[in-house]
Amino acid sequence: MVRVDEQTKEIVEEKIDEAIKEIFISDKPWVTIVWDDPVNLMTYVTYVLMELFGFTREKAHGLMMQIHTQGKAVVSTGSREEMEHDVARLHEYGLWATLQRGDQAL
Amino acid sequence: MSAGTQEHPSGFTRHGSDDYVANFSSSEREVLINLVEQIIELLGERRDNYDDDPLAAIIGITSFDSPPDDDVLMRLLPNAYAKQEDASEFRRYTESNLRAKKSANAMSMRIDLKSSSDGCVEVDHDGANAWLGGINDIRLALGVRLNVQANSHEDLEILAPDDPLRGVYAVYSWLGWLQESLIQALMDDAL
Repeated sequence: MVRVDEQTKEIVEEKIDEAIKEIFISDKPWVTIVWDDPVNLMTYVTYVLMELFGFTREKAHGLMMQIHTQGKAVVSTGSREEMEHDVARLHEYGLWATLQRGDQAL
Repeated sequence: MSAGTQEHPSGFTRHGSDDYVANFSSSEREVLINLVEQIIELLGERRDNYDDDPLAAIIGITSFDSPPDDDVLMRLLPNAYAKQEDASEFRRYTESNLRAKKSANAMSMRIDLKSSSDGCVEVDHDGANAWLGGINDIRLALGVRLNVQANSHEDLEILAPDDPLRGVYAVYSWLGWLQESLIQALMDDAL
């Protein structure tokens, strides 16, 4: 049986911690943002959010109001691939959407 | 246009569980057909030459990755990322699909309008969504041409009678009203 002294054990644990941390950082969710737009009707934005994400009318309306009053809102979070899919679907409906890492400043 | 629409303010109404019906006058029908055909033509531009790579054509990868020069196309096919490098990469893999989806909506509208001799259009839920997206693309296109901003509606309301944009704005407003009627009909459905 290999004996590991305390110091080596500490170093190894530290390395493992770092590796785990890195995995979680690189997996940090991405976000889909919908931006305010002067053409899209408010009811249309609400309808599209309900249709695409299955949100209740209340939730979709709340997000639409956030887009309208604050200029933007995060409408979904997940992996980069998932957010690319969401953005593509939102573009099909003509909403102005982008994706970015969730830890980037909005 | 706006006076004409007030004479038969039907817009879309829901019939039964999943039918959406609108009656258009012959001039409204003509205007709509004209607009969807312009959108189809616009989306068809910048077709890629796939001679070199038939596989790329099949899976929809395009060789162009720069944003469109035209402001209207840029609004219909926007960047997905703030960073140009990422936006270009995304565009390469998705733009032709997005164009196809938008063209399909416009073509679906065109078929519905062309096949209706009396101006009565009847669509199911999917057809209604195609109309919603299609009307929205036309409104986005006209909005760019009219330079619609958050507070520009008041300026657009008072355009001089001989201003060519006045007619465009009338159509734009009418389409907003038409789209709203369809959304209300669909939202009833969602209740």
